Amino acid sequence: MHSKVMVILGFLMLGMVSAGPVFPADRVMELLPDFELPIPEEPGHANYLGVQNIEGETFRITDIDADIVLIELFSMYCPFCQEEAPAVNELYQKMQALGTAGPNIKIVGIGASNSPFEVDHFRNTFDIEFPLFPDQDMSIYKALSGAGTPGFIGVRFDEGKKGVIVLRQSGGFYSTDDFLAELIEYAARR
Amino acid sequence: MRPAVSNRGSGWTILLALFILSALPFDLHAAERHLSESIYDTGHLKPIDSVLKVAPGDIAPDFELKAISGKSIRLSSYRGRKNVVISFVPAAWTPVCSDQWPGYAITRRYFDDADAVLLGITVDNVATLYAWTRQMGTIWFEVLSDFWPHGATAEAYGLLRSDGTSERALVFIDKHGVIRDIYVSDINVRPPLEYLVEQLAKLK
Repeated sequence: MHSKVMVILGFLMLGMVSAGPVFPADRVMELLPDFELPIPEEPGHANYLGVQNIEGETFRITDIDADIVLIELFSMYCPFCQEEAPAVNELYQKMQALGTAGPNIKIVGIGASNSPFEVDHFRNTFDIEFPLFPDQDMSIYKALSGAGTPGFIGVRFDEGKKGVIVLRQSGGFYSTDDFLAELIEYAARR
Repeated sequence: MRPAVSNRGSGWTILLALFILSALPFDLHAAERHLSESIYDTGHLKPIDSVLKVAPGDIAPDFELKAISGKSIRLSSYRGRKNVVISFVPAAWTPVCSDQWPGYAITRRYFDDADAVLLGITVDNVATLYAWTRQMGTIWFEVLSDFWPHGATAEAYGLLRSDGTSERALVFIDKHGVIRDIYVSDINVRPPLEYLVEQLAKLK
């Protein structure tokens, strides 16, 4: 009797585990909403994204030279984003280390409700090398249906350079290696 | 026969338990990161709901309040020693406030540069403030409770709202105890960091 209860309890808990923080969006083709970002003034950032030669002052996520773009939703004021920042830096380094051997994965940060000054402060505090963009009025956060910070949205470029959201995660990731492996897997499914 | 069946049953239970345990840390980790779900959504509030009783140039009304550090902090004890920035926030466990102080956790150098201390004040009691601020990472500044007589300090500054919470306000006080600037923010919006940094620079 006791063990039966345990087994039932076990299955109930399994149900909870499977409703974890990762929501593969493959089942439904969720298209990336259309929004523009300013071309970074910092030449290194513009080069990293491959948007240095775009005419005008703005670009779209789908203009980025990548197979997969990971969008980090963060806020300078969010303690978990602060805590996660070193891990995200590590993830960026590992993305870079893939070189030409692996898929081309890029990362950008969107500072939800942060002013340019606040985004700069976050960048300087944690020595963040990848491009960060302020989203002071939260228009991008809302367009992306952000659900808290930190949050991560993986975008894959499919035929015709259409951006498809392949991953949504609220909260931090557990290990940079596992998270990168997951992104690589999404890139391979193209 | 019976014991054998029972054994097999517990074997499965152990296997299942192991499986669950192997998956659980991931889930707990996620849960840990969702403390923000404990935050009560106040909805949009009347931007400002009080009338200031002090102005720049006035001597800042003195107060002595209990801090979550266990100390009792008297404003006038900083006179002649430190500039003081008071950050009044409306209440614990509410959306914008839960974000504002964690930001100050990583901005200490601006205060140090201006030879200033930061005092965070809400109308909540010490125990509530303690529990609330523990999820904020390194809170290096004193967090004071203006709980009893309820909101008396906020009221002395004209920052107590009609519902017993306080305004979201920054008060900049120099080493002579004189108020140099007061910024009463729309309660729904965080004061921008650049404003804080600008005013701190003026205290130098």
